[in-house]
Amino acid sequence: MSDAYATTDRLVSAESNVYDRGLDATIALSVVGFALGMVTLVGLVPLDAGGSALTGAFATLLAVVVGAVGISGLASYTGVAPITSQRVRGIGIGLVVSAVSLAVLAVALPVTMATLLGVVLLVEALALVAAGATSRAGVVDTEPNMSAGLLAGSVFGAVGLAFGTVIGGALVGFGSPLWAVVALATGAFLLAVTVLPREDVGSTASPALVVATLGLVVVTGVVGVGWQWNPQTLSGGFTGSAVIPVFLLFGTLLSAWSAAKCRAGFGARGREYGAFLVINLNAFLMVAVMATIVLFVTLKGVGYAVHGITVGALTLLVVLSPALVGAVQFARSPAGTSDWNTGVRQLFRVLPLALVGSLGTVLAGVLLTGSTLRYAFTYVVQVNRAGETIDTAITVTPDATVGTLLLIAPALLLAVAFFRAFGSLRSVGTQSARTGSVRQAVPTAILGLVALIGCFLVVGPSPFGLPLGGTLGFAAVVAGTLAAGALAVLPLAGVLASNGSSLAASAQDEAPLFTLGVFGGLGLLTAALVLQPVAAVNPLVGPVNLVPAVALLGAVASLAVAVLTTAARRGSEETITRRLLAEETRLGLVGAAGFTALVGLHVAVTGVSFTVLGVSVANEGSLSWPMVMQAYIPLGLEPGGIMPAIVGTVWLVVGATLFAVPLGLGAAVFLTEYAEQGRFTALVEIATNALWSTPSIVFGLFGAAFLIPRLGGDESLLAGMLVLGFMLLPLVLITSREAIKSVPNEYRDASTALGVTQWETIKSVVLPAAMPGVITGVILGVGRIAGETAPLILVLGSTLNATNAVDVVGGFRFVARPPFVVNDALLTASASLPTQVWAVIAAGVSGSPQMGWATAFILLMVVLTFYAVGITARTYFRRKLDYE
Amino acid sequence: MSDSINTETSTDAQASTGTQASTDGESPGIQTTAGESEERVREEWTQYQFDGAAKLSVEDLNVWYGDDHALKDVSMEIPENSVTALIGPSGCGKSTYLRCLNRMNDRIKAARVDGSVELEGTEIYDSNANLVELRKRIGMVFQSPNPFPKSIRENISYGPRKHGDINKGLLARLFGRDDTEAEAELVERSLKQAALWDEVSDRLDDNALGLSGGQQQRLCIARCLAVDPEVILMDEPASALDPIATSKIEDLVEELSKEYTVVIVTHNMQQAARISDQTAVFLTGGELVEYDDTDKIFENPESQRVEDYITGKFG
Repeated sequence: MSDAYATTDRLVSAESNVYDRGLDATIALSVVGFALGMVTLVGLVPLDAGGSALTGAFATLLAVVVGAVGISGLASYTGVAPITSQRVRGIGIGLVVSAVSLAVLAVALPVTMATLLGVVLLVEALALVAAGATSRAGVVDTEPNMSAGLLAGSVFGAVGLAFGTVIGGALVGFGSPLWAVVALATGAFLLAVTVLPREDVGSTASPALVVATLGLVVVTGVVGVGWQWNPQTLSGGFTGSAVIPVFLLFGTLLSAWSAAKCRAGFGARGREYGAFLVINLNAFLMVAVMATIVLFVTLKGVGYAVHGITVGALTLLVVLSPALVGAVQFARSPAGTSDWNTGVRQLFRVLPLALVGSLGTVLAGVLLTGSTLRYAFTYVVQVNRAGETIDTAITVTPDATVGTLLLIAPALLLAVAFFRAFGSLRSVGTQSARTGSVRQAVPTAILGLVALIGCFLVVGPSPFGLPLGGTLGFAAVVAGTLAAGALAVLPLAGVLASNGSSLAASAQDEAPLFTLGVFGGLGLLTAALVLQPVAAVNPLVGPVNLVPAVALLGAVASLAVAVLTTAARRGSEETITRRLLAEETRLGLVGAAGFTALVGLHVAVTGVSFTVLGVSVANEGSLSWPMVMQAYIPLGLEPGGIMPAIVGTVWLVVGATLFAVPLGLGAAVFLTEYAEQGRFTALVEIATNALWSTPSIVFGLFGAAFLIPRLGGDESLLAGMLVLGFMLLPLVLITSREAIKSVPNEYRDASTALGVTQWETIKSVVLPAAMPGVITGVILGVGRIAGETAPLILVLGSTLNATNAVDVVGGFRFVARPPFVVNDALLTASASLPTQVWAVIAAGVSGSPQMGWATAFILLMVVLTFYAVGITARTYFRRKLDYE
Repeated sequence: MSDSINTETSTDAQASTGTQASTDGESPGIQTTAGESEERVREEWTQYQFDGAAKLSVEDLNVWYGDDHALKDVSMEIPENSVTALIGPSGCGKSTYLRCLNRMNDRIKAARVDGSVELEGTEIYDSNANLVELRKRIGMVFQSPNPFPKSIRENISYGPRKHGDINKGLLARLFGRDDTEAEAELVERSLKQAALWDEVSDRLDDNALGLSGGQQQRLCIARCLAVDPEVILMDEPASALDPIATSKIEDLVEELSKEYTVVIVTHNMQQAARISDQTAVFLTGGELVEYDDTDKIFENPESQRVEDYITGKFG
């Protein structure tokens, strides 16, 4: 080993000394300064705040910092989440020190926010100079390089050039060429200061100079809050309120970088820590920008958007039920083994359950006591250009009515969730001859009902004047419903009547009855339910409708089975029995949720509400959300809502997706799997990329000039769907091609070698493997088109404050001549959220700006909902490919 | 997919091109790797006499990748229910030859095949050949394990399902013609044949990518067996595996040769000597140099070049 390597560094660094702690504090101060820069940039705290406003702001900062550091410190101290890093500890202490000193300064000195921010920069600069000098003097153990390097040098040179330009322009004016000399001199000076001395001086002196300059300019008031600079060459100008936060962001980033280099002792490790810090702050900045946008729109719009919400407690409970099941699942997942942490993790896992439970209890309390929960607030609308405050409230009423949609959706969700967890009860228990024959008969019966549905659909309920529907259909519905009811109670009856030694034993013996009862019952009842409106009958038993009554019976019986098997499971020891009973419980829950959904479906189909014990299921639910559920009310006191625009946007996205995804995916499959790779595919690729970057207004013009004359001559929903579909198409094509290309060739080889044809291979191996990528493309594309405004103005019209929504589902009519299906709703103009926002806010069409913000907020929510759906789908497909 | 040249084949092709370029200057017409002596291939070296019927008979098979002549006038007969090993240095065309036997080279657009391959007397390069049936009868296992990202059960039943032999769709279930039992039997039989059943029987619904490399390769063999082939082509099936997994695969190959005709490409000469009944040696330039009983090839080869190759003088 040569002498050059003789003086190696220590393998383990020593405990922090004063130098280290000081630099940790400097970094912490930079972080605080950076945060303050962002806070002031978005105007959360004004720059000219002084006195109590300033004290309040810093008290909040102190509380936030002390809280965060305190909790982490406590967790570390008790050993829950030990923090071993010296640097993290140092920064934690530094954060508290910075926050405390800033708060003290804010109280003690009669200054404004801006001055205080300048002081922050000056302190930073001083700390950097001190650190650099300490290192250069050899007091501390550092390992600096020969120079800070040309990259850093040129960056500071450029900064110097910019500074020099401004200073020169301010001193001698841009009229004389002297400003250029000043600029060049400053740039060269900073470059030299950075590059020429040893690294510890070079990478502290220049940032210190820059930061000190910025700080001085702010503290001395050269650039104050009221400062304004309007260069003649620019149409805009710079104001102090925008420039000072930017100074702060830039200055703190610089000093954080420099302090981090000092802290890690310069050299390679110094560069590493510096880059780490800057990149982290950068990422933080980006996230903060996005969060700010969402938060800003939400704050502006949420008050108006949620005005007047009234909801029944029972409805909320029903909607909450999937969350409850999810929370239970979460609580059941294992909590790990590490001794101390187990308790904490268990606590953490139980928390969501506790939260949902407390919410549910509050709602149940509302239901039982009949009292009303009410949160009152005000919102502002614009009436005759004057703000008018309107009182409103969010109310939870003890109404026990549930709307059909709000019943069906959670019930179906739960049924599917339980079914997915359900394995199979195949080949367990004693398969008697009688159950065998019933098992055979159930599909036959369902098929018979389906055939009857088909008949009535084709010939109508009373062909040639014969009341077939009233007789045959009625009998079939009654028989099917009763049979379904019998099947649904079968598992319960079987278990109770069985002469097994214990509950567990009888549940095990009668296992074949479970699948038969639940699935057979659900299938038969669904068929009978669909037959009902087709045959135009609705059998009653006394005052009660037969079908929902039986469905309710099925739900109760299934729930009873679930409870029974759970009870039996608690008393059973054997693993296999326990596993079987768990399956049966899940099956019971599938039945309960499924039959409940059928109750809702019956009400939705027939429109007759169903009441039992004061709880009723009705088409008119107890949820009222004026902004989302109402249309505009002309000349009304209440302005109403934007339901037509929401419906329009949802239909636009659905239509565009239905149009573009099959086309794009099909083209991608052809181009990637079948077509010869050559000029043609290259040309298509270029064309798609060009199409993707085509401005949206061009698409709009195309739609207006080409589609609309061919689609009835008026602005229409269909034209909007098609234009948005055209815009979505290239992205779907590009991402699908990439996704299909990235499927490994081994899969195709393996499939071909098994003698599977190419199309089957694509269908069952390539596309499933490419699905997550395809969905990513669709998510991105939907995000773009959902908020697209320009083409919609041209092809959809900018219907403002529409009074009714397009009824696409109900608009379908079947006719006897081509094209056989027509839908007038698709050919009418519709409202949409983006055009509504544009018309209200940008174009100044009459209406309250508050309503515009609320519309923007709801548009954001709609897009995020589409995202959530897409991301769920992607996760589902990805999980199928993963081996976790 | 059209530009998808299998990695193995393309390296073969590149390697032989490289050889051609490096040796053209010295001795035009004959391509050799460094250290390989020059000699003419005599026809009788490849005349292998055996008892019983030939499963596959190949005659004058030539393959070009573009302008590159990868396989030259190969003729050989492969006997039924035995293990035939193909050995030779990289780029000699043995993988190309193997892929010709079930027409996998059709998937490479640049490849041109000329000659005749007969499966029990039926020409497989006939323009009316039914590729689905052909590949059902001649299965293939690849160099690196390539299970589908599906469950173990689905991997096994994939082939039969796609051929309509097993029906598990919604319609089949509604009409009560659900083949779940048949599928379970098939999965169990195939996995037992591939000596994997004991290791995976309790997690058939787990994703196959979660298995270890050796298990994945045996799963691929089981998947191949599930479509009930007559011939199994193996392209260096153990080259990506550790010694223990390799020995498992070797035992499996010996076991399979009782019922199936196995053709196996290998780089490992000990492996060829251990498991094969007869061995074909391909040498640089895509020629079949010698084809005979494994013992004969390894103990007393006719060709000097083959002897040099086997004793490790080049290759």
